[in-house]
Amino acid sequence: MLSLKDKQNQKIKWRKWNKIIHRDLGYLCVGLTMLYAISGIAVNHIADWNPNYRLERLTSSIDPEPLRTLPPQQLAPAILAAIGESRPLVDSFRPQPDKMQLFVKENTIIVNLKTGAVVQEKSMPRKGLHQMNFLHLNHAKKLWTWFADLYALALFCLALTGMFVLRGKNGITGRGAWLTGAGVFMPLFFLWLYV
Amino acid sequence: MKTFLVIVATLITLSFSSNALAKDYGKPLRLTEQTKISTILDNPDTFIGKRVQVSGMIIEVCATRGCWVYLSSDRPYEKIQIKVLDGEIVFPMSASGRQATVEGTVEQLAMSKEKVIEYKRHLAEEQGKSFDPSTVTGDEKIIRIHALGAVIEG
Repeated sequence: MLSLKDKQNQKIKWRKWNKIIHRDLGYLCVGLTMLYAISGIAVNHIADWNPNYRLERLTSSIDPEPLRTLPPQQLAPAILAAIGESRPLVDSFRPQPDKMQLFVKENTIIVNLKTGAVVQEKSMPRKGLHQMNFLHLNHAKKLWTWFADLYALALFCLALTGMFVLRGKNGITGRGAWLTGAGVFMPLFFLWLYV
Repeated sequence: MKTFLVIVATLITLSFSSNALAKDYGKPLRLTEQTKISTILDNPDTFIGKRVQVSGMIIEVCATRGCWVYLSSDRPYEKIQIKVLDGEIVFPMSASGRQATVEGTVEQLAMSKEKVIEYKRHLAEEQGKSFDPSTVTGDEKIIRIHALGAVIEG
């Protein structure tokens, strides 16, 4: 039979470990939580903007006359030179008899060989955000899937241990109960509102 | 503590590098024979609902979600749309101009004129382009491939 002192010691040990787990998991989760939060806001508004790429559409024109006499294999280099595109050509495609599509890194160039009209569709990855979305939306798959699962598990533990960090009127039996209840109620309210 | 940090750093590096090398998307390709895109477009009824493997150059990528690409056909001036469910496969914009082999199921979208306008306007919006509804003259049947897996050459 445990004495009162032993029981108190056990309670203290349990509280102590709860705090340690909550504190260390909290530190571990800081980076990823910030990443998920920033990316979460970015992809939440995907209908209004492109969270991954900055898209630019530039129109210009080149003189089509010199292109007409060129052999097909010299067309692409001549067009790239004419528009001042120095990046190497990945490949080219003819979507229509009088149109040519050229692919270079982060730029697709569509040229009307008859009129000389040029459209450049530039797509530049948003620095930082592109990488955050890549991880957040699990485009990486493979090992990252397991790592993200571990993170989700850590968040679950963080929430669970967080409820028992404080005792007394600010703990789960007092103020904490009301706030935890409100946190659970909010998603239920939106489910009721929209489903 | 140092050992722990090294393990975490290694895991993160591995997860980044494994993706950087990855050129496979979705499920592994399992068909041994390829079908020409022109053959599918000439005889769509023969292929609807069937699994095919096609190859061609990626000439356009969905800029918003990476959820579709257009693949060039073996016949000049022809292309086919390769569609994936959002998030199942995400085609990167850097795939433009790359050769790809795609495996998936052929499907047909039979749409009224209004639906075609809506569909093409949506595609244009995803690319940040303008769309002229007068280019749609009537009902359309769009043949596309619902991709299950793809390999994109580096």
